[in-house]
Amino acid sequence: MKHLIARLEPVIWALFGGGFFVGCLLMPAFIFMLCIAAPLGWLPEGALSYERAHALAANPIGRLALFVLIVLPFWNGANHLRHFVIDLRGIRSDGVVAPACYAAALVVTGIAAVAVGKL
Amino acid sequence: MSDRQKKTFVITRFDPDKDEVPKTQTYEIPVRPDWKVLDALNFIKDEVDGTLSHRWSCRMAVCGSCGMMVNGEPKLTCKTALSDYGDTVEVGPLSNFPVIRDLVVELEGFMEKFKAVKPWILRAKEKAPEEGVYRQSPAELEAFKQFSMCINCMLCYAACPVVGNEPDYLGPAAIALGHRYNLDSRDEGDAERNQVFREEGGVYSCSYANECSEVCPKNVDPAAAINQAKFLAVVDWAKSFVSPRSRKK
Repeated sequence: MKHLIARLEPVIWALFGGGFFVGCLLMPAFIFMLCIAAPLGWLPEGALSYERAHALAANPIGRLALFVLIVLPFWNGANHLRHFVIDLRGIRSDGVVAPACYAAALVVTGIAAVAVGKL
Repeated sequence: MSDRQKKTFVITRFDPDKDEVPKTQTYEIPVRPDWKVLDALNFIKDEVDGTLSHRWSCRMAVCGSCGMMVNGEPKLTCKTALSDYGDTVEVGPLSNFPVIRDLVVELEGFMEKFKAVKPWILRAKEKAPEEGVYRQSPAELEAFKQFSMCINCMLCYAACPVVGNEPDYLGPAAIALGHRYNLDSRDEGDAERNQVFREEGGVYSCSYANECSEVCPKNVDPAAAINQAKFLAVVDWAKSFVSPRSRKK
């Protein structure tokens, strides 16, 4: 397992870096639209009605965008949490922590794929 | 002597022939307002206790040999003003290194890590001397110049939490140096170095603490080098699936 993770480090880091990008640049816009602009009524009437939102989310680009928006930040979090624990508890904890963190991110990836596919 | 003020120095001492573990020894000495920490150590060595061992050479933050822990932080002692500290100053050997004696640490492992990243210009084929020099534009020089300012003082290794945890980790200075050659327009060895960077103990062991750049006395910013190296190692790894040539060791 240790060697598998070591071999996959470049992929994991790419997902981690992608998660940073999504979390820093796209997520704030997403949160602004859904959690601030919509409830305060700054959007045009019916802009986020169920039919419009569903049509936006269910088209192929919408599905891909949602998948990326959900999954990459989880890989970012998993990798960060792993290294955070190594810094705190020492490298010996990595044998358990790395598989646990990445397994959690894999599970979320699977659930997100199914959920986005079913839209 | 009127401009002298008394300060207390708590210095870590270790004699491998007598001591099982390091101990501390306290010295109270008169210091001048313009002294650096190194001046005080030299005063103790010359005037108070000749058995104290510490490394130093240039006294102008160029040679990188006087790195020590000052009040728990890695510092170049020739660049650290005593006036920034209170009446008591603690001086110890650099963290994360084996201690040889008192404030002197073992450099062997550090030097091996440097060799591992092949810090010299690698080319598939050298030009013959009569073909002239390898020309480089100011912009090409600028691309790596910052990462070439390292003086190998090892403060970044003393500050890095990963170096303390994983003895095999290449570490900030070695990665910054390897990255410096990868960025050099005259060099063709990036595939080889990226291979080393991707191995266990390579760039992906870094835990993004940024402590290396915080303590660097020459503003090399090794953390930036490590993150750029991670990105370039990913790109190189992806390329290895497209072009089998770059997969070779």
